Amino acid sequence: MSGKKQDAITVKGIDNSGQRISSKDFEELVQAAAQDSNNLVLEAYGQHNVGGRLMPDKGPYSLRLTGPAGQRLGCMGQPGTKIVCEGPASDDVGYLNIGADIMVLGDATNGVCNAMAQGRVMIKGSIGARGLTMTKWNPDYVRPELWVLGSVGDTFAEFNCGGIGVVCGIEAKNPDNVLGYRPCVGTVGGWVYYRGKTDDSYSRTNVKEIVPDDEQWQWLMDRMPEFLESIDRMDLLETLSVRDEWKILMAITPQERALMFSGPMPMAEFRTKVWDKAFGGDPLRDLAPGLDRSPIGLIESGELRRRRPYWANHESAAPCTFYCPVHIPTIDRLRLIREGKLDDAYELILQHTPLPGSVCGAVCPNLCMENCSRQGVDSSIDVAMLGRSVKDIAAPETAKPTGNRVAIIGGGPGGMNAAWQLAQAGIEAHIFEKDDKLGGKLAQVIPWERLPQATWQAEIDRFMNMPNIKVHFGVTMDKEIFDELKKDYDYVIVAVGTHEPRRIPFPGNEKVIAALDFLKSAKSDKPPKVGKQVVIIGAGNVGCDVACEAYKLGAESVVLVDIQKPLAFGNEKAAAEGLGATFRWPVMTKEVNDEGLVTAEGDLIPAQTVIISIGDVPALKFLSETVEVITVGGAGWVKTNEAGLTSDEKVYAVGDVERPGLATNALGSGKKAADSIISSIRGEEWKPFEKKLIDQKTLTLEHYCPEPTVGDSPEAEADRCLSCGKCKDCHLCETICPTGAISRREVPSDFGYEYIADDNKCIACGFCRDTCPCGIWMLQPFE
Amino acid sequence: MVSIQSIPSNPSSLTHVDLQWIINHREDRCTLCGKCTSVCPKESIYLAYRRQRMPKLDIQKNRRGSEYRVFTGVRQRTQPANRCIGCGMCAQVCPNEAIAPAPNANDPRVKLLSNDKGEAWKRGGRRNVRESLLDRIMFNRISMLTDPALDAGRHEFQLNTLLGRVLPPDEYLRRKASGEWIPPVREIFPFVIGSMSFGALSPNMWLGLLQGVAYCNEVLGIPVVMATGEGGCPPWVLRSPYLKYIILQIASGYFGWDEIIRAIPEMQCDPAAIEIKYGQGAKPGDGGLLMWFKVSKLIARLRGVPEGVDLPSPPVHQTLYSIEESVMKMIQSLSMAWGFRVPVYPKISGSTSAKSVLNNLVRNPYASALLIDGVDGGTGAAYNVSMDATGHPIASNLRECYLDLVAQGRQNEIPLFAAGGVGKNGNVTQNGLGLIMLGASGVHIGKYIMQSASGCLGSERNRCNVCNIGICPKGITSQNPKLYRRLDPDKVAERVAETFMAIRTEMRKVLAPLGRSQSLPIGMSDAIGIDDPAAAERLKIKYIC
Repeated sequence: MSGKKQDAITVKGIDNSGQRISSKDFEELVQAAAQDSNNLVLEAYGQHNVGGRLMPDKGPYSLRLTGPAGQRLGCMGQPGTKIVCEGPASDDVGYLNIGADIMVLGDATNGVCNAMAQGRVMIKGSIGARGLTMTKWNPDYVRPELWVLGSVGDTFAEFNCGGIGVVCGIEAKNPDNVLGYRPCVGTVGGWVYYRGKTDDSYSRTNVKEIVPDDEQWQWLMDRMPEFLESIDRMDLLETLSVRDEWKILMAITPQERALMFSGPMPMAEFRTKVWDKAFGGDPLRDLAPGLDRSPIGLIESGELRRRRPYWANHESAAPCTFYCPVHIPTIDRLRLIREGKLDDAYELILQHTPLPGSVCGAVCPNLCMENCSRQGVDSSIDVAMLGRSVKDIAAPETAKPTGNRVAIIGGGPGGMNAAWQLAQAGIEAHIFEKDDKLGGKLAQVIPWERLPQATWQAEIDRFMNMPNIKVHFGVTMDKEIFDELKKDYDYVIVAVGTHEPRRIPFPGNEKVIAALDFLKSAKSDKPPKVGKQVVIIGAGNVGCDVACEAYKLGAESVVLVDIQKPLAFGNEKAAAEGLGATFRWPVMTKEVNDEGLVTAEGDLIPAQTVIISIGDVPALKFLSETVEVITVGGAGWVKTNEAGLTSDEKVYAVGDVERPGLATNALGSGKKAADSIISSIRGEEWKPFEKKLIDQKTLTLEHYCPEPTVGDSPEAEADRCLSCGKCKDCHLCETICPTGAISRREVPSDFGYEYIADDNKCIACGFCRDTCPCGIWMLQPFE
Repeated sequence: MVSIQSIPSNPSSLTHVDLQWIINHREDRCTLCGKCTSVCPKESIYLAYRRQRMPKLDIQKNRRGSEYRVFTGVRQRTQPANRCIGCGMCAQVCPNEAIAPAPNANDPRVKLLSNDKGEAWKRGGRRNVRESLLDRIMFNRISMLTDPALDAGRHEFQLNTLLGRVLPPDEYLRRKASGEWIPPVREIFPFVIGSMSFGALSPNMWLGLLQGVAYCNEVLGIPVVMATGEGGCPPWVLRSPYLKYIILQIASGYFGWDEIIRAIPEMQCDPAAIEIKYGQGAKPGDGGLLMWFKVSKLIARLRGVPEGVDLPSPPVHQTLYSIEESVMKMIQSLSMAWGFRVPVYPKISGSTSAKSVLNNLVRNPYASALLIDGVDGGTGAAYNVSMDATGHPIASNLRECYLDLVAQGRQNEIPLFAAGGVGKNGNVTQNGLGLIMLGASGVHIGKYIMQSASGCLGSERNRCNVCNIGICPKGITSQNPKLYRRLDPDKVAERVAETFMAIRTEMRKVLAPLGRSQSLPIGMSDAIGIDDPAAAERLKIKYIC
């Protein structure tokens, strides 16, 4: 300061020739004058950017502006500069001001305080649009302030970042709206005191309207006199000191903004206050009264599940039971064994067949095991071994005699099982057999190699000792006897099998021995002689039996010929091949002569013995006309319904007379016919075996590990059984259930227990179904 | 007889690598809670037990044998009926991030086998084509000091459009002076929620949308309207003040119109407009079919039909035989229903014949607009071949129609609305404004609003897309309350509001640099460009590179 004159230096904005000095030159003059004095009078003539760049270390400066002010008065003003503009000012007063005090003793136009960071601007009149925009506040310094005695124009305080505005509303340009249209858009800091009417268009997401608190009021009142003094309006102090007339638009903090819903009203409030009221209730109440549309989760239990578990115990058949023509429930038998109820297990099988050792254990190809599910783990249950284990077990108890009698013509497996079933039910069964022994072809033609004699004898003995069974041997049936039987007995069962060999009338056919006759005599006490070379016409399993017998009786080579690919399979085929038999096909026989068999092509197959094995047909001359017979392939077969009943309601037919089959098929049809008779005697409805085969995909085989050797005892086999479709009581479902919904409880039923799923816990995940080793749990749709 | 040991193979045998979605399951993270298998809409996954052989071989001690380890995992079924649809609900419910579907990077063979019993591949959703020409349209006439510098956040924008016939000024003044009829015009937000029926959509979805629309109008001041689609409108809604936000659709099935006509005398307000549906972009020339299992008691009442029957909407209106007749008959009848106070306009599939329809409408005094639905539109159910390969993309179709109007000097009279693929890849505002600058007065959005407002999982990678079979895992397109109650209408409404607020902001962000704030830039094609010379030439816009 020293060395400077305190007298005011006047800088003129017009040169001596009356020309306006450019803003650039004027600024240079002002800077020069400022070197000499801190007290300047600027006779401006519209120069811009006046009053800035006066450095505080040389200050303080006092500038008095007369004449028309240009734009950006006080631009980049420094602390320590005080500018008084005696008249109105143009745009952008205080532009980028960082500390100057700027007083405008008139109105100012647009952009007052634009980007100002510090300092004060005081306006004696009103200002135009976009005042206090982009105003900053550096927290190391004092907040910038804008004081306006009148009103402000539109879009006030946009992007205000910390400045304080005071709008007094005195002699406002628009007394109805002292803050202009849409103030505070983008305001993020600072606040605006105002007094007077507004159009309430301030940006709701940027500022909130509050009333000044004590501190804020004190701040205003502390500074108000200085403002009014500066603009020489101390007369207004009282007017402007009425606290009730002042309000503040305060910047909303980001935290406050984040808490606001992205819209101005929470949706729940909208629903209850607006939406529901407009409808007067649920909008669907007329279409669907009481419809519950309330929100639910993704995982639900109870009624909201889309599926629910069902314990389908014993609702489908295991493959063993299903495929066995007698439907012997092997899995039940094995279950009884597992439970240690060996006697019950034996009784169970003997209830189904009198010949478990001979058929299941020996001659039967065991259809039951062809699809044993255990094969999915290692190999099927050894049902033949299970069958053999029963050969010496006593027959099941029989019911009290009912007084009914049934005649059975033929003592083969079909007739025997019919009698066996009837006997158990207390019905007297009379077998009329042409031969002197029971068993039909099983006894007559099956080689003892395939049907051990000891087993057979034990089972025949057991059969013969069965109460209610009477066997009449050596009865040759004819029409008269048949009609008499029909009269004397409640029912007649025709079970005569097929005992007429088929023949082909080629030349020399009289030299050919029928397989049936050959096998019968081979198994008799006086076996026939055979040549060294034997040809068998017909290469099925019976042909293979013939071949084996022929070898046994001295043949050196046996050739089986057939017109088609041989049908032989299984044990029979293996046995024949094992002895050296060969198969030739296709071979059409032209003739048989002493040299052997001549084929249609003229080849000779040398043979001393030729045997024909192309099947047998029934001999049915004894039947009355009431029994309908159908002719297939040149032979007559008895027509029956599902139960084996013929067109005569007193006559059933079982076994090969219906259609040729295995011994087990005959056992099955004998049982069916007997069951049907028992039902009708008891006045009950007979139903065929109806259970569906279990879908083996539902079993969970992975719970079982392959075993290197299969079981060698009924107990070991029982452990291997998968119990398809019947609960094994393993508790796995109960264990795996993730919600603990499944439990086991005792109930009075065949099983004595059941597993149930608690609806209130179950989420229908299906784990019980996926885990159940027996394929019992299923998931059903739940609408 | 196939035994349990045999592994059958037939021409349609599939393995998991043939499927379109492969379930990745991590046994090491799985807690076996059962939630994934419980939630799976297709019963695609199940708890699997697996047995692993572990040989124990010791040659030195001459010991050998095998042990077995049994382990569990969640596996997917491979039969097409249970194929994974990639919806990802399993991942959503999994507490341990142990399971999720992943798209199969190989060529999934399942597509070749989706014609069981001779029934060609049918599905819901959208065209399985991911590219979108609309995504390539850019706004590149930026005001750099040359035009008013607009600030999207600060300035106010007039973003609405007009639905209805705008008379030329002289004609308007003449009619005004003489008291003649002046066609009704609605000021609406240019993004309209396109036609999705109450039936195709669940009650919670449909009402959630309407609630959101009401909120947009009454709280946010965004005049959004939604179209009902065919199938009527609940009677209480017809009698509510919200009818004014609804465009009622009449289509070839005429479902639900008995209730609408019955309600007319009791309506508090007029509907926003009437849309006459002649075609749908997703499946042009194909009708609709609401499958019997979606015809619940509620839907049956609403549509005025018996419960549990298939409801076909034929591909064509049964008694209309020509454009002239259609325009005459239907537009007039429906205008008359509300005393000519409600705009009535037809909706057609994008087609090379669209211009013929348009020119007919120009001559019809009652026609209020034309809506053209392009091939990228969605649908509840259609044959794949209809969806993927039948139809016309919207951009050039709309542009041709607009330029045709321009040539006649009528472009300000009859507004064109465009639909089909707006927001296909999420760029809803870009796509919509692109179409507007090509000449549309507004756009309809369907799939986008489903994805945005209700979390629809469908995608152009054939994710989910099972709207046709009523098992929508989000409850959007199911009539099963056990599914649709998963959808909270309040939340849908909230998302509708958020979506439209965001569209509004994005519109400003596009329009501000263009220097437009006072009117929607309909046909302002000098503002857009595309990086494809052929498309640029066809659309008559700038090629940019």
